[in-house]
Amino acid sequence: MDRRSFVAGSAAAAAALAIRPSLAQEVYPTRPVTFINPFPPGGAVDVVARPLASVLEPILKQPVVIETKAGAAGQVGAQFAASAKPDGYTLLMHIMSISGFAEVDKLFGRPVKFTRDDFIPISRFIADPMVLVVNDKQPYKTLKEFVDDAKKRPNELIFSSSGLYGALHLPTALLMKAAGIQMKHLPTAGGGPALTAILGNNSQVLVSSIAASSAQMKAGKLRPLACFGAQRAPAVPDVPTMKELGYNIEFYLWLGMFAPKGTPVPIITTLREANKKAVADPKFQQAVKNLGQDVAYLDQPEFRAFWDLSAKRVEDAVRLIGKVQG
Amino acid sequence: MEATFDSLFLGFSVALRFDVLWYAFLGCLVGTLVGMLPGIGPLAGISILLPLTFGLDATKAIVMLAGIYYGSQYGGSTTSILLRIPGEAASVMTCIDGNAMAKKGRAGAALCIAAVGSFIAGTFGVIVLTLIAPPVAAFALRFGPPEYTALLTLGLIFLAYMSTTSLVRTLLMAALGLLLGTIGIDVMTGHFRFSFNIAELGDGIGIVPVAVGLFGLGELLATPSHQVKGDVTRPRLRELLPTRKEWHESAMPIARGSVLGFVVGIIPGSAHIISSFLSYAVERRVSKHPEEFGKGAVAGVAGPESANNAASTGAFVPMLALGIPTGPVTAVLMAALLIHGVPPGPTLVNDHPNVFWGFVASMYVGNLMLLALNLPLVGLFVNLLRIPYAYLYPLIIMFCVIGVYEVNHSIVDVWIMLIMGVVGYGLKKFGFDPAPLVLGLVIAPIFEMSLRQSLIMSGGNYMIFLDYQQRPIALGLLATSAILLLLSVISSILRQRDWRAKLAQAEAVERQ
Repeated sequence: MDRRSFVAGSAAAAAALAIRPSLAQEVYPTRPVTFINPFPPGGAVDVVARPLASVLEPILKQPVVIETKAGAAGQVGAQFAASAKPDGYTLLMHIMSISGFAEVDKLFGRPVKFTRDDFIPISRFIADPMVLVVNDKQPYKTLKEFVDDAKKRPNELIFSSSGLYGALHLPTALLMKAAGIQMKHLPTAGGGPALTAILGNNSQVLVSSIAASSAQMKAGKLRPLACFGAQRAPAVPDVPTMKELGYNIEFYLWLGMFAPKGTPVPIITTLREANKKAVADPKFQQAVKNLGQDVAYLDQPEFRAFWDLSAKRVEDAVRLIGKVQG
Repeated sequence: MEATFDSLFLGFSVALRFDVLWYAFLGCLVGTLVGMLPGIGPLAGISILLPLTFGLDATKAIVMLAGIYYGSQYGGSTTSILLRIPGEAASVMTCIDGNAMAKKGRAGAALCIAAVGSFIAGTFGVIVLTLIAPPVAAFALRFGPPEYTALLTLGLIFLAYMSTTSLVRTLLMAALGLLLGTIGIDVMTGHFRFSFNIAELGDGIGIVPVAVGLFGLGELLATPSHQVKGDVTRPRLRELLPTRKEWHESAMPIARGSVLGFVVGIIPGSAHIISSFLSYAVERRVSKHPEEFGKGAVAGVAGPESANNAASTGAFVPMLALGIPTGPVTAVLMAALLIHGVPPGPTLVNDHPNVFWGFVASMYVGNLMLLALNLPLVGLFVNLLRIPYAYLYPLIIMFCVIGVYEVNHSIVDVWIMLIMGVVGYGLKKFGFDPAPLVLGLVIAPIFEMSLRQSLIMSGGNYMIFLDYQQRPIALGLLATSAILLLLSVISSILRQRDWRAKLAQAEAVERQ
């Protein structure tokens, strides 16, 4: 038993005792709230969810527990949350890849386990634009040089990714389509191994989040050529965006909070208010800054619109890649 | 070199501060406990305690969290030796001879040797880390998919020499393990394989449920079918300590295990899991009494235990020097550094010398603490065996179930463990050794992935493994494998029956 669940347990016991007489008019939340982290500990979700939980606890006046349900590139955790009781006590923290699972299932003729409609978006916290990097042993100084060379020798250059239809594969597929180039795909078991592959020059190109590759860019081991954001990113101000370079591609590694379908509106409203306060907390902002990112908070209406747009890009990219033969 | 000592001096000035010492101790203590509890591995331990470090500075946080990691490698041997329950994949090999020693009444000796071996290997690892981290890390980066494929091929060939049973039985078990390892999402194409629409099987079958089931539960289920001696007496202090002969037998295995483990540990990826398997195979190969392996050979405890500790230190090399994780645990440690505003990467040593050298120095101190923590506990742990089996075994089963569930919060994992327990019972009854099955399961996904990645890189051309200009390491490893195979062919042609044939013959005589 860890401290958090011990605190959670004793707080819940105390709360239950205190509240028993007035059970009829209880106000959410009356017991600990659980965030489902669908990725391994220490992953992209975990490092944001933990500081968020610690600033949300005083706001919600309840412990916030992070439960890891990793597996199948985030599908296991999402499925778990989709089938959880919609009472606001089980919430999902997930990234852009949540939009792609249904499309991939359809592609392979598998029963679709959940769709986007199974979730209510609550807030977006992070949106880190992707960046295209090449190994410093490669001669390319600009995206144009890279694209021209890749056109000359189709299927010779190799790009690595965190896995098929994953966050690093999809934007690469969109670029290959837009630029009319072909490269070989070296899928690995995660963002770390994908980075290792390009550092060892076993792959030459990688589309990664800025945060994940910033240390290597600073050390000069990787050279950024283009950024996938709408504007230039503050972390790499000299790197042009895809739009500046004439490719209409936008891609972010974003992270948001979701509730299962059917969660009552008053509970969602409480959570939106709480999140709004939490992202304004300097402690949370500092924690996110330490990760090399900035808080990119969106409240429900804007987040919903953003998600629709993002999901369309993801679905397009999945269809573009199609069913991989191998 | 002088600069290194200056830096190390700086490191010790950080590591020996009272508050830093306290957090190192806390990490080592928690690590020892976490290592002992089956299922709750270092990964879970570190991530549970991660929020506790939010209030600390980066040095204290990393010192404590790393202490949990290498501390758990010490603690992991305890349940393996006493109860035959491997806390994680790395302790599987310790189960075999460690538990056999415990049955012979040498549990104390086995625990002492494991602790001392871990200490020597851990300290050796830190010294090498101090001296040669940056160049070695650059070398490790040259391990791409083809090198990995070659390394695992070598591992598989070693495997053939590993088991206590005949070659055919070993290979049969290994093949079964490899087959089980293909369950899950095909990472190259996204197809589900043998998963029967169970999402949890998409990630494949975990090593911990299989290892705990086969070794722990299988052994428990088999216990009622033979006479159990109930007269476990309280051991005297002298019996707790290894004899002079046992120390002598463990010296070389500890040395070999330390070097082997470190070398395997620095390779990015999951190769460090196989360090203890490789060490066991090596020890068995070089031993003058290979027939003792599986029946309580001291070298079978000393070698693998040292190897897995050296490997866990080696795993820090790419993390600290390059900022790339070698496995899930180092990935969490990197996340911890990130949260504290210290981005790991090639510039870590220059940007944050306090953190880097303080961390390195704390590992020297931590290893000493762990030795001091673990040796006195040996006497206490051995008393565990005095609990009557009627009480002890249900407790063990409970811990197995809770522990396995705790890893992924998955009930499917518990079922896998229970099924593997029954399988383990059957294997034991029919004289099969489950260790090659576990190794097959460990190797299968990495081997398949690196083989297919290599072929993607070369466009389907197998010559990528034999290209001595681009890939000298892969060629070297494959050449070693070929030589090993050739040697065994020659020896069988010359009809020099080796120890295994003699053993089989002896067994045949025994059965008659």
